Amino acid sequence: MAILGGATGAAPPAPPVKAMRRASVARRIAAAGWAHESRIWKIGGWVAASVPLGSLVFILVVLGHKAWPSVVVNGTHFFTGSAWKPGSTYGTTVHTHGFAHPAGSSYGAWPLIAGTLQTSIIAVVLAVPISLGAAFALTERLPGWLSRPLAFAVEILAGIPSVIIGLWGVLTLGPFLAQDVYPVIADHMPDVPVLSYFRNPVGHGEGLLTTGLVLGLMIIPIITATTRDLFLQVPPLPKEGGLALGMTDAEVARRVTLPWVRSGIIGATVLGLGRALGETMAVAMISGAALNTISPNIFGTMGTIAAAIVTQLDSSFTDGTGFATSALAEAAVVLVAITILANALARVVIARSARHGMPVGRGG
Amino acid sequence: MSAGPEGVSTERGITTPVVGAVDPILDAIDPDRGRPPHVMETRDLTLGFGAKAILSGVTAPFARGTITALIGPTGSGKTTFLRTLNRMNDKVRGFRREGSVLLDGESIWSTEQDLFTLRRRVGMLFQRPNPFPMSIRDNVVAGVRAHRIAKGKQLDVVAEQRLLEVGLWDAVKDRLGDSPFQLSGGQQQLLCLARALAIGPEVLLLDEPTSALDPVSTEFVEHLLLQMTPALSMVVVTHNLGQARRISHQTMFLYDGNLVEHGPTAQVFEHPVHTHTERYVTGRMG
Repeated sequence: MAILGGATGAAPPAPPVKAMRRASVARRIAAAGWAHESRIWKIGGWVAASVPLGSLVFILVVLGHKAWPSVVVNGTHFFTGSAWKPGSTYGTTVHTHGFAHPAGSSYGAWPLIAGTLQTSIIAVVLAVPISLGAAFALTERLPGWLSRPLAFAVEILAGIPSVIIGLWGVLTLGPFLAQDVYPVIADHMPDVPVLSYFRNPVGHGEGLLTTGLVLGLMIIPIITATTRDLFLQVPPLPKEGGLALGMTDAEVARRVTLPWVRSGIIGATVLGLGRALGETMAVAMISGAALNTISPNIFGTMGTIAAAIVTQLDSSFTDGTGFATSALAEAAVVLVAITILANALARVVIARSARHGMPVGRGG
Repeated sequence: MSAGPEGVSTERGITTPVVGAVDPILDAIDPDRGRPPHVMETRDLTLGFGAKAILSGVTAPFARGTITALIGPTGSGKTTFLRTLNRMNDKVRGFRREGSVLLDGESIWSTEQDLFTLRRRVGMLFQRPNPFPMSIRDNVVAGVRAHRIAKGKQLDVVAEQRLLEVGLWDAVKDRLGDSPFQLSGGQQQLLCLARALAIGPEVLLLDEPTSALDPVSTEFVEHLLLQMTPALSMVVVTHNLGQARRISHQTMFLYDGNLVEHGPTAQVFEHPVHTHTERYVTGRMG
């Protein structure tokens, strides 16, 4: 006040403290010269806007550069081969297409790619219906005194570090499922196509289904919280229109509320899928972290790209030629590509289904 | 009528074989044969939300096949009253009611009355158009589907017939699969009217149905509503006194939670009994 207000001469009638602070910032900018202000905003805006895109490009370029030796040497074998072979790091170094790598080293990531897709699909298939149901209950069915703490619990669940969920999965959930749940399923499945996939052996609780279940649990809060916010934005008038037409609550949900936010729900699903595809620590702990195995049934051990990167990183440094880290970098590029593909696919689905959909918020 | 819901509702059940044989013919001549003259009726209806009183002791019959206008200043309880008639208030927090509402002589809250059937018989059109996020055709038949009145190819017939009825067919016949949100506000409201008519209601409740529409659309909707009598009975909440005069047969004036005046529209507007009514219909209060 004394510093900044002085310039104007007469002291203004004491404004509230907050208003005073706001005024002082504006005046400082004014003191710096109004002419520069718009330029500062312009440059600042450009910098801020280019950070996300710049980071993405930077990461992809660096990863691609790192991965290049593996791309050239392994070729398509990287996508079709099922053996992750570092070769002998104490043996001779050979050169293929000009790139040095240990003799006998070759990398096939097919089991990891398959495992990534399998676990993520299981997770999404389980999580989406549960999340929609939970979001619907939170917004439409439960009274406020119950839904508010539950919504809070959902948000807390979303914030639990994955390593803790992984620890719970491997110490408690996995053994419980393997002893008390999986045998019941496996023993009763007939030996026919598709269903035979659910037959014995059930293993020890580390593997495909346990990983899918835990991933599902991890993405439920994400999809639930997003979907809940979407449901809250559906205007009441169309819903009332449905009720007034003699629809049941369930019919209104299915025919009015859900279609209203369809594109948003697809977005929420992809958000969850992205998390499931990239989840590392919990999967490394629960999946069995295999490198070369595609599980023969739904219970067996397997691995994913993310889990393989974290479990193999340390040993890859023992490869003096850098070829092992190059293979991990290529695996990383594949994972990024899968994530981008999933997002692109979602956009196509949204564009197709948006014909009758509503931009959220209108029409209320 | 004082015998209560049971006394009236059994009337159509008492039939000898001979009378039964001519029943379909008589029904065809007069579908309302043997029904109470009042399609709906409220008796000493008192409504409120929590501690707040909205309406007290409203007793009003709604004559079959006519349009009743509900007028009154904002906050007089018109909309609450209207929404009670098809039980839209039942699930609103704190809603309380005393007295009764009869549909064809039977309480709308009686245990035999199925909520979804009630809403099929007593339809509703809202203040603003509220199409569903589905194609124009699917909008029209949404209620038909929910009540399983028709299916498959029949749905196309229903959609065409109802869109013709509301005069929207020519405008939309080439884009039945398109989104209804591309239509103008007036067209959207007509679509909602077609949707409400498609399930064959006996009573239609209209909550300021033209307040969001332009004058041309308003005139068109008013014309339609008049055409739909006497096959359909209507209760219209309106702030537009001109509209009440143009389309209604009876007018109810609600003021401060009370039914102040109820009578033929001409009488309520020309020779109001109550001073409040006179001040309101002459524009000195409002």
